[in-house]
Amino acid sequence: MTELRSLATFALLTVSASAQWLNYPTAGVPKTASGSANLTAPTPRTADGKPDLSGLWGMMCPTANGTVMCAPEVAVPQVFGDIGRGVKGGLPYTPWAADLVKTRKAQNGKDDPTSHCLPGGVAKLHTSALLRKIVQTPGLIVFLTERNASYRQVFTDGRPLPKDPNPSWNGYSTGHWDGDTLVVETNGFQEGQWLDRAGSPLTESAKMTERIRRPNYGTLEIELTVDDPKAYTKPWTLQLSQSIILNTELLDYICLENEKDSSHLV
Amino acid sequence: MPLAVRTSQFWNLGASFKDGLPFQPWAAELHRQRVASNSKDNPDAHCLPLGVMQLHTHGQPRKMVQTPGVIVIIYEANAGLRQIFTDGRPLPKDAEPWWFGYSTGKWEGDTLVVESTSFRDLGWLDVEGSPLTDTGRIIERFRRPDFGHLEIEVTIDDPKAYTKPWTVTVYQRIMLDTDLIEFICQENSKDDPHLR
Repeated sequence: MTELRSLATFALLTVSASAQWLNYPTAGVPKTASGSANLTAPTPRTADGKPDLSGLWGMMCPTANGTVMCAPEVAVPQVFGDIGRGVKGGLPYTPWAADLVKTRKAQNGKDDPTSHCLPGGVAKLHTSALLRKIVQTPGLIVFLTERNASYRQVFTDGRPLPKDPNPSWNGYSTGHWDGDTLVVETNGFQEGQWLDRAGSPLTESAKMTERIRRPNYGTLEIELTVDDPKAYTKPWTLQLSQSIILNTELLDYICLENEKDSSHLV
Repeated sequence: MPLAVRTSQFWNLGASFKDGLPFQPWAAELHRQRVASNSKDNPDAHCLPLGVMQLHTHGQPRKMVQTPGVIVIIYEANAGLRQIFTDGRPLPKDAEPWWFGYSTGKWEGDTLVVESTSFRDLGWLDVEGSPLTDTGRIIERFRRPDFGHLEIEVTIDDPKAYTKPWTVTVYQRIMLDTDLIEFICQENSKDDPHLR
């Protein structure tokens, strides 16, 4: 799979005759007078006037060659490694959580679920170098992720959060519009998740609130607030920005395919 | 395994064919080997993607999300995902080979006709291991004749593995007042070293 992503990155930088999968033109892209994509054009909207968050979104990473789309072989977002780097003042670990992170770091993160091809959950959906695609419909927004070719559902049909949800990696998510901001609330997380490679924990007592905005055509802004009193002394908020990725598609990444690492992690 | 289970499409797509599927000789031999080894190499047994056909016939539910330009199918089974592009794009000539292939769809009257190519080689169409090769083409005709029913007529056109194209129909029913449950095959998976 490593090679596939390298190919994808390569295809974005060059014109490749053999990569039709990757370079089909995105429809409806606003253009500048010179004909290039106008990423600061107004936010697209759905028939009911709400912002349309649909699109393929990527994290951007600073490199020696300027800011580029993050990709596992090029550059990985800092917040994927340590989510506290995107939080003002760092993460307010409880003593128990601070000890746990220390142990996990000392063990080189060998028990990180994603190292064992388990799901990344909501935080890593947003912070990963892998691409994600939002498909917005009335009543339901689906996030598609390259990680294990999987998905996350956000119900926007007005249903309440369940009182006793089946614990799961993605939890149970409902969303509503607050003006032009999609507010997503999630509960029902299962115990033992890692929010980042450093091992910042997420427990089953956690609630998450995401405030998602698309201020212009090319930008998605995500404010992720984690309220998990077992692991953190107070709620904290991660600020993220993603960029629209044009003329390409998700390349599925199947972690377990030819997987040889797990047994060597010590 | 009880014989009754073996007659289901999930296990054996050839169950309803009088003489079985029209395998090429090498494909018949591969199928025989896969059955003889108790399907231990079925990708699903190792938490790898199930592919188009096993996802159609699987007992766990799936949800179709239809938008202008793309239809997304999200599956409970192994939290799988498939995209069908309906924006008029052609099938790519040289796409990355993939578990689900690359799918484009168009409407013929009230029937959604989906064509898929670019599959990985030697895929498993059913648990018995009826193969699909990297030159295979799948045509699916999706119909929803009434509120509660979905009919998917699937034609496998893969001359490398089969002497002629063949067609099976999968019937699904609407599921109300519930939703997909997160199913993570790899979670606490202990089977793998015991498969033989």
